[in-house]
Amino acid sequence: MDYSVNINVFQGPFELLYHLIEKKEIDIYDIPISEITDQYLGYLEEMMQFNMNVASEFIFMAATLIEIKSQMLLPQKEKEEDPRQDLVTQLLEYKIFKDVSEELKKYEDESSFYISKPREEIALTSDTKTEQLFLNEINVYELYNIYMSLIRKQNFKIVPEEKFKLYRENYRVKDLMEELTKKVRKFRQVSLFNTFKEKKSISKEYVITLFLAVLELSNNRGMKIYQDNVHGDIIITSQERK
Amino acid sequence: MNIKSVLESLMFAWGEPLSINEMSKILEIPANRLTALLDEMMAEFHDNENRGLLIQKFGNSYQLTTKKENYEYIQSLLESTVNKSLSTAAMETLSIIAYKQPVTKVEIERIRGVKCSQVVKGLLDKGLIKEVGRLDKPGRPVIFSTTDEFLRHFGLSSINELPSIESEKDDNETESLSIDA
Repeated sequence: MDYSVNINVFQGPFELLYHLIEKKEIDIYDIPISEITDQYLGYLEEMMQFNMNVASEFIFMAATLIEIKSQMLLPQKEKEEDPRQDLVTQLLEYKIFKDVSEELKKYEDESSFYISKPREEIALTSDTKTEQLFLNEINVYELYNIYMSLIRKQNFKIVPEEKFKLYRENYRVKDLMEELTKKVRKFRQVSLFNTFKEKKSISKEYVITLFLAVLELSNNRGMKIYQDNVHGDIIITSQERK
Repeated sequence: MNIKSVLESLMFAWGEPLSINEMSKILEIPANRLTALLDEMMAEFHDNENRGLLIQKFGNSYQLTTKKENYEYIQSLLESTVNKSLSTAAMETLSIIAYKQPVTKVEIERIRGVKCSQVVKGLLDKGLIKEVGRLDKPGRPVIFSTTDEFLRHFGLSSINELPSIESEKDDNETESLSIDA
């Protein structure tokens, strides 16, 4: 049976090369290219034997190493640049960030000792206008009796509603999407709150349709929609920002 | 109004790092005055041994956290603590962004020698980095910077507190590599 195991032992060719150099305690400024190339290729072969996915970056580095090796074989003029120079510069730069990322790891560990809370939505109880009926003081039989006496008193007949009026929609998502897109193109940045304010009077239908239009626009790759705070304004911008 | 008292309540209610601008807007007090007060409060919390909370500064934001010495007790209270530590790939990528910001993905990939799209996306999702614009070059590549959340994750009060990379290469003084932070 053939199954593949993908173990990411080395993140990239630089990490592998760096590992080989460190293991052999090689002077990074004088890398024995022939020896390192052999070891590097040997490792790739091993990876392939274990059916590991060898990323193209590893192959590219192999080609680079072989190219350097062949250049080293050619007789060199005195003032010519060492063919290893680019590789060494890159390795050194990589080493700087590899080292510093290990240093930062310590910072990360240290900061995990300080516990903090994630943001929660705390609903403040508002004392205005929200009236609630508390039914828990009445039991279900009492409720039933009240209901039945009302029905009898008013002589209600419970019949399903036969007719209801269907209103034509005043706003369409498609239209508002177009309107918003035009606006974003013109002003680069459009605030949802201000768009609401532009109407002299706004209906629930307009608010809902406009919001649906914003949601639809979020599927659009060219648009970026964000909100800085919970309950805050929603800003629509085109992706092409300077 | 007792400003310090209000500030403490605000930070408690918000939970996450609260920006000085937000507090200044709410209290209608200039930001620099609040900064001075918050710095005092940081010292007061820190010095009061009977209190278990600290105020920490991350960039332009402040947050209430527990004190380090109480960690083991909190750990026994919480059944399991979520491991928030980042992968090696994420750490390397983040380091490059932190020191070279603003930086393009291509530059990160050049230094690491591997494709970084997935890692960058992960860091964006975690809010550790953000897009700060585009470079005025062919293809207009997106450039990335670290966020206040990055500072919080590593317990840094500002980007200047990053470990210096000059000292990292003390044994290689001959090679001069310029790193613009």
